[in-house]
Amino acid sequence: MKVFGKGFTGGWIVQDLGNGKVEWNIDKVHMGWIVRGFVEGKPGRIEVFRMKTPHRVLAGGWQSWSPFRVFKTDGYEFSYQRSWMYKDTPRPELGNILSDYFFATDNLVVGFLSSKTAHGYFTLEGDEIVGWLDYFDAHFPNRIQIEPFVILEGKDTSVLLEIYASMVARESGARFSRRSPIGWCSWYHYFLDLKWEDILKNLELSKNFPIEVFQIDDAYELDIGDWLETKEGFPPVEEMANAISSHGLVAGIWTAPFSISETSRLFKEHPDWVVKENGNPKVAYRNWGRSIYALDLSNDEALEWLFETFKKLRDYGYRYFKIDFLFSGAIPGERKKNMTPVQAFRAGMRTIRNAVEDSFVLGCGSPLLPSIGYVDGMRIGEDTAPYWSKGKDDGRPSARYALRNTITRYFMHNKWWLNDPDCLLLRGKKTKLTSDQRELYAYTVGILDNMVLMSDDLELVDEDGKRILEETLRLRGGKPRVEGLMEPDEKYVVKSDGTLSGNTRIEVDLSKGKYEMTVEEYSYLKKEKVFKDGRIFNFYEEE
Amino acid sequence: MQELRFNPLTDEWIIVSTATQRRPVQPTEVECPICPGGVEFKDVKTYDIVSFENRYPSLRRDAPELDFKEKGPFRKERALGVCEVVVYTSDHDSSLPKMPLDQVAKLVKVWKDRTRELSNLDFVKYIFIFENRGKEVGASLPHPHGQIYAFPFVPKRIEAKIDAMRKWFERTGKCPICDVIENESWERTVYENESFLALVPFYARFPYEIHIYPKRHVSTLLELSEIEEKDLADSIKNITMRYDKLFEQEFPYMMMLFQAPFTRDEISHFFHFHLEFNPPKRDKDRLKWMASVETGTWTFINPVLPEEAAKRLREVKI
Ligand SMILES: [Zn+2]
Ligand SMILES: [Zn+2]
Repeated sequence: MKVFGKGFTGGWIVQDLGNGKVEWNIDKVHMGWIVRGFVEGKPGRIEVFRMKTPHRVLAGGWQSWSPFRVFKTDGYEFSYQRSWMYKDTPRPELGNILSDYFFATDNLVVGFLSSKTAHGYFTLEGDEIVGWLDYFDAHFPNRIQIEPFVILEGKDTSVLLEIYASMVARESGARFSRRSPIGWCSWYHYFLDLKWEDILKNLELSKNFPIEVFQIDDAYELDIGDWLETKEGFPPVEEMANAISSHGLVAGIWTAPFSISETSRLFKEHPDWVVKENGNPKVAYRNWGRSIYALDLSNDEALEWLFETFKKLRDYGYRYFKIDFLFSGAIPGERKKNMTPVQAFRAGMRTIRNAVEDSFVLGCGSPLLPSIGYVDGMRIGEDTAPYWSKGKDDGRPSARYALRNTITRYFMHNKWWLNDPDCLLLRGKKTKLTSDQRELYAYTVGILDNMVLMSDDLELVDEDGKRILEETLRLRGGKPRVEGLMEPDEKYVVKSDGTLSGNTRIEVDLSKGKYEMTVEEYSYLKKEKVFKDGRIFNFYEEE
Repeated sequence: MQELRFNPLTDEWIIVSTATQRRPVQPTEVECPICPGGVEFKDVKTYDIVSFENRYPSLRRDAPELDFKEKGPFRKERALGVCEVVVYTSDHDSSLPKMPLDQVAKLVKVWKDRTRELSNLDFVKYIFIFENRGKEVGASLPHPHGQIYAFPFVPKRIEAKIDAMRKWFERTGKCPICDVIENESWERTVYENESFLALVPFYARFPYEIHIYPKRHVSTLLELSEIEEKDLADSIKNITMRYDKLFEQEFPYMMMLFQAPFTRDEISHFFHFHLEFNPPKRDKDRLKWMASVETGTWTFINPVLPEEAAKRLREVKI
């Protein structure tokens, strides 16, 4: 192993980078080593770590939807689609990207503890894995801290990943709600065909479910960027919030705040607010049959608009914000100010957090490490779907691979944020998921203690669906651990002690869509809460 | 006045709580406040197990805001937290050794539920469950009860335990309690069942100190299975019965449960949940004082050989 091209040595080392300078030292930490240091000047991309490639690694891309799985390094090839080139990494042109932020192999985890300024990632170079810190084109007249990184070893991979996650949480300043709300989301049943009548119908039906948050997804907005205006058939955004609140539910709304459609009014009025390439608006990705640009989050006017937009939504009564396609805010390109895409992204996230105050923020399609400290919940896998699997494991929607990421990224939960495993689809009709697959998905989510969100036409959720939901909620509350992360066979064991149903264990086989679960028979005492002269009394007795 | 003050000489927090000063001591002819019908349960005919927030808590959910500017070494924080009293049974004359095993098992369930509920509070970092039994350790009420403190920080001795366990793990690759269980012999064992081992530890600080260790590596109460809960109750009942028999008296003790903190630091791989019983007595009539050496240096001089104490406790007929 090499750090900054050198063997492990004690003391501070200063290295001249030509356009800049880096100083670093290495220290012992629990289960391994930590490297800390400073950088100044125009560092560009710095090699920070190098080791012989193990034959298999647990690795994945930089954002919510990137598959996180075991790769054989022999014959590994990185590929991407032009219209979605930044889906897995902000540096696709390098071609040999193996993993962003961190990777693991048997009994070893190597990773960065934060992404506040630079983007950290790992490439395959010949028979070596090389770790990089990328400062893009930014220059730093005064020295700043590098993103610290750690090398952890000597325990099994799951334990090391949990330790790694807790170190990241501390270094990155994790802050999120301890309350995990049960939600409904319109997307996975209605998709873009959502009508206002569907919302009204499901609001009525939600009384039959333990739903707390009711979130309207993509479909209501006039265009990507024009969030405060609704398209034909929908009432104004304020009225939508009132309709939800009047049912005693927390109003939730979907936006893609760092994305601007070429057709939007926002772009027409402020063509200068986007990230550029050679002076022209740069396409971040293509979706909705349109080119989507990225909001330039280094631009103060754009940030002010962002603040005002979310402030208004909060004033209208929304308290739950699903913010999607966030990676576009962190793509490389020309911005107004001298800052890295990561710094710009974090300025955007900070702005939203300040505007919505203590509302629940759910990140989606988002770079992982730079979001820590700003989101309460985070999607950690690709979109789910009303079918088990269809086509390649490349981030496209499917229940199978959405659940796979939920399992392989389990260690982020309750450390960086609350993991959002994507919605449970519990309806018995208009779905290709079998009852077994619905159970497998839901129970695994429960045992992993993740967020529980549903996305169905509630009219189609029958007694069986309700039973699955109830059982899922009672599987939460434990301390989960996944075994089998390094095996490539899609078989995992998830154990969780101390769930609301007692100690539990589920063995899953994702390739077959099968599971076997054992739940301890646990009996509860009856509890009655009484408030007396400002104090809480809990009376317990046997049921 | 209620606040936390920082001591830079020892890197620890002190709770200043002047309200606790008004707490009545050893009520004499006064009706028991925690019996059904007592001051705390005026309109309650009976109950099974109750936990309630202390009338004069040292830490509170609604701790007063501070109007204080940090100056030099002087730092303050709000005294956020929860202090609860857990009443084990409505039977005034009972106690852990006298309670039916089922009642103790229920108490373990209550501890678990309190741990779960309190650990969900944003400001809570450590949950300390304990019982002071006997006037020798300042217990003012004979009615069987314990207490729970939900702290907004990780207390000093807990930190010391964490550091020590981490150090051992780094040196040996093993959790120290797992290592003790693996190497322990009958000569210090007082009682053992399927899931727990009760022993006078090799490193006992008090003459009749007993530790209870779960044989399975768990770091909080929450992880115990229902069978383990019963086995924990059984060990607690068993050793407190031995204590009472040892000198034929209601043996005073401090019972303390040590769980891993509820912070985001991952320490569960080396932190092993355990109980300590620290009785202040050295024999039938004499006390082992926490005097200058113990208080000032944290060094304990144990006048009884742990193996000898274990033998006496083991041979007690219960
Ligand atoms: Zn009483
Ligand atoms: Zn252990």
